[in-house]
Amino acid sequence: MKLALAFLGALAFAALPFLTSSNYIIGVGISALTFTVAAAALNLVYGFAGLLSFAQLGFWGIGGYAAALTVVTFGGTFWEGVLWAALLNGAIALVVGYPTLRTNRHAFVISTLTFALLVTLIARDWVSLTRGPLGIPNLPSPEAFGQRFDTPAKFYWIAWAFAVATIAFLYALCSSRIGRTLVAIKQNEPLTRAQGISPMPYKLAAFAVGAAITGAAGGVYCFELRIIDPTFLDFYYMQTFLIIVIIGGTGSFWGVIAAGIALSALPEVLRFSEDLRMIIYGVILVAAMFVMPSGVAGWLRERRLTAMREALR
Amino acid sequence: MSAILRLSGLRKAYAGVRALDGVSFEVEAGSITGLIGPNGSGKSTAIDCISGFQKLDAGTVTLAGTDITGRPAHHIARTGLMRTFQTVRVYERLSLADNLAIAAQQFDPATWVDEFLRTRRYRQAVEASERRARELVELIGLERYYNAEAGILSYGQKKLVALAAALMPHPKIVVLDEPVAGVNPSRIREIEVALQQLNEAGETFLIVEHNVEFITTLCHRVIVLEQGRKLTEGTAAEIHTDPRVLEAYLGMTPEMAEAEMRGAA
Amino acid sequence: MTIDAAYLLQLTLNGIALGLLYALIAVGLSLIFGVMEIINFAHGELLMLGAFAMTFALPVVGLLYWPALAASLFATMLAGFVIFEILLVRLKPDEFERSILITLGLSIILIHTVQYLFTATPRMVDTQYGFDGVAIGTIRLTWTRLIGAGAAIVAFTGLYLTLRFTQFGRAMRAIAQNREAALMVGIRPRTVARNAVILAAGLCGLAGSALAPIQLVTPYMGQFLIFKAFALVIIGGLGNIPGAVVAAVALGLVESWIGGFFTAAWQEGAVFVIMIVVLMLRPDGLFKRGGMRVG
Repeated sequence: MKLALAFLGALAFAALPFLTSSNYIIGVGISALTFTVAAAALNLVYGFAGLLSFAQLGFWGIGGYAAALTVVTFGGTFWEGVLWAALLNGAIALVVGYPTLRTNRHAFVISTLTFALLVTLIARDWVSLTRGPLGIPNLPSPEAFGQRFDTPAKFYWIAWAFAVATIAFLYALCSSRIGRTLVAIKQNEPLTRAQGISPMPYKLAAFAVGAAITGAAGGVYCFELRIIDPTFLDFYYMQTFLIIVIIGGTGSFWGVIAAGIALSALPEVLRFSEDLRMIIYGVILVAAMFVMPSGVAGWLRERRLTAMREALR
Repeated sequence: MSAILRLSGLRKAYAGVRALDGVSFEVEAGSITGLIGPNGSGKSTAIDCISGFQKLDAGTVTLAGTDITGRPAHHIARTGLMRTFQTVRVYERLSLADNLAIAAQQFDPATWVDEFLRTRRYRQAVEASERRARELVELIGLERYYNAEAGILSYGQKKLVALAAALMPHPKIVVLDEPVAGVNPSRIREIEVALQQLNEAGETFLIVEHNVEFITTLCHRVIVLEQGRKLTEGTAAEIHTDPRVLEAYLGMTPEMAEAEMRGAA
Repeated sequence: MTIDAAYLLQLTLNGIALGLLYALIAVGLSLIFGVMEIINFAHGELLMLGAFAMTFALPVVGLLYWPALAASLFATMLAGFVIFEILLVRLKPDEFERSILITLGLSIILIHTVQYLFTATPRMVDTQYGFDGVAIGTIRLTWTRLIGAGAAIVAFTGLYLTLRFTQFGRAMRAIAQNREAALMVGIRPRTVARNAVILAAGLCGLAGSALAPIQLVTPYMGQFLIFKAFALVIIGGLGNIPGAVVAAVALGLVESWIGGFFTAAWQEGAVFVIMIVVLMLRPDGLFKRGGMRVG
């Protein structure tokens, strides 16, 4: 049922370029798809594995830079760039994840945050590699099968295919035994240990997969912007991913996907000034944490549970 | 009968306090062994050290001939020792079915590749695990909650779920940390019966408990700890009348103790 | 290369002054963590509010430093009180992730509201002291820096005495060490937590007011500092106040020395590298949290 709906939804999204000729709306669609992928990756890490990781922002940035540099500096293709973005991030996540996951959960949150800032500093200050604050402009359009994806509508197909593929992969992962084990570790880590499950490999795997997918999403998105500079690491992106996950409901796979599409399109459509938009985001975040701390999906679930309790009494 | 779990010279100190001071005992295969002692006598520490949740300062733990001293908890579980916790632990937001399936999943041969390809091996493992889960749920009398979330159960029911989860992978020994503490007295009898049935089916138990009557009716052998040392060990009847135990454990005369125990149930 | 002793001394003094400012922020974070087990993500914005309060108060009182400082301190403590009563009071202990997300939302709101109202243009602040200072040989220190460092030292002394000898300080330490036991002897956690937040806000506001005449005041000034303070709190051991002070002053020194000889990039990155190394070696930070548990 859910899968059938998801399939229909994916098809509906594929049709967007036929429905509008507005490049602006197609651009919003591209952002919505990539942000949703990044949010779904954060949901794997935070919603399923219970690791509040701000490092996603760093991975997003590293992914963007890796893809851009692969093309511009090392003469690779867009596809290689996105692949490198994923692989490099996965590797970095293993190296960063191992020491930080050994600490307590408080220290984990803060060290992932400082990791994200470290990446920002590198983007700004390692001028010989990243060209510093000026950034790398004029990223070329991707090419495949002799076809240049040089219009927004054509690039939209790439973003669409990327989103469908990664979301399908994440769904397979989250609904597997691995996903179930992550939830178990989040809920009661000592119990999983008493049942012969070593939490570390699971957490590390979730962290690395989340990093790789976030990085790939960053790689795709910077080619939509056609420029990458340190503002690509603006905290705004992290906040957006977090708000999507929280409104959608941490640990609810489809809730987060739906929230991703809705919330990344909404502010664009409403066209607020940037400051006003951020103020609204902040208010939504605070309000959501108090009114429905487990998101829309969590709120619905809570109602279902109450009904179930009634039925069983 | 042979010893399945063998402990010798366990020592553990916290900040200078000797929680375990050279404790040695054995658990026979197929038995129910009780571990009792007053508060602070080192029972919980002993369990935590055996199951790998705490590091021993000295001593060795042998499970079915394998030295498991100092191994990480998940490793010990995989060797065949499953434990429960004093404050009940279940996955509150997962169904009973999932609670039980997770407890067994490390013990079947199916890997994530098998799962992804839905191989025969994976399907067989899942079937076997489900069959076992149904069996145990029936034993603890919670069939109708099979697909409900564990969080909606009462405290006593959760204790039963934790017990069933520990039994899922057919462990060599199950260590129960206060299985009836905080359980409604009317349900204690049910747990007793369930444990007896399981024992007759061949399961080995090591039980730490405060409830003396529960221990003495159930256990073949009882070990008494006091201040980190083994005070004595014997059959339930021997322990029941041992004046040293009553003195140390209850601080009362045998007559008073007798009355107390009747009241405690 | 010969290292000029006077230059090194100048760097050292600057480093201590900088480190004391870091310490003001980190100690507040540590204090709140100790009492409530939460992290206040909006702590940097309290600093920013302190600095902005300074920019408005100074012209009103004719550039007199001390009255403006007092006004700004009062403003940040009031802000701390309001934040506690509206948001933090609803948090239960051990809702760490939730506390971060809520105060993150607050931080977004504060930054962008200030930017919306007053624009992102950096503001300069002048005081009665201007750029006057004292010179010892070739070493020069401006009054504003000296006063900032002095105020920090006074604040720490006051904090130490408060924690050590007052009823309120004892209650705070009791809660930090053993929550249940503290509740049982009748300590009211809500009052203690509120006072801790107000105190932490005051320390942070002091840092903001002291910084205002030294560097440009912008809506984002708190953000970067707070991330450093987070790292310091981790290095020093979460909830460990002396640990945070030691780590902060050490970082100020290290940054100042590095800045004297290398490029700014290394200076900014130092804290993160140090933090990662510390976490690799000692997952609980350099100084473990006080309070021992048995059993």
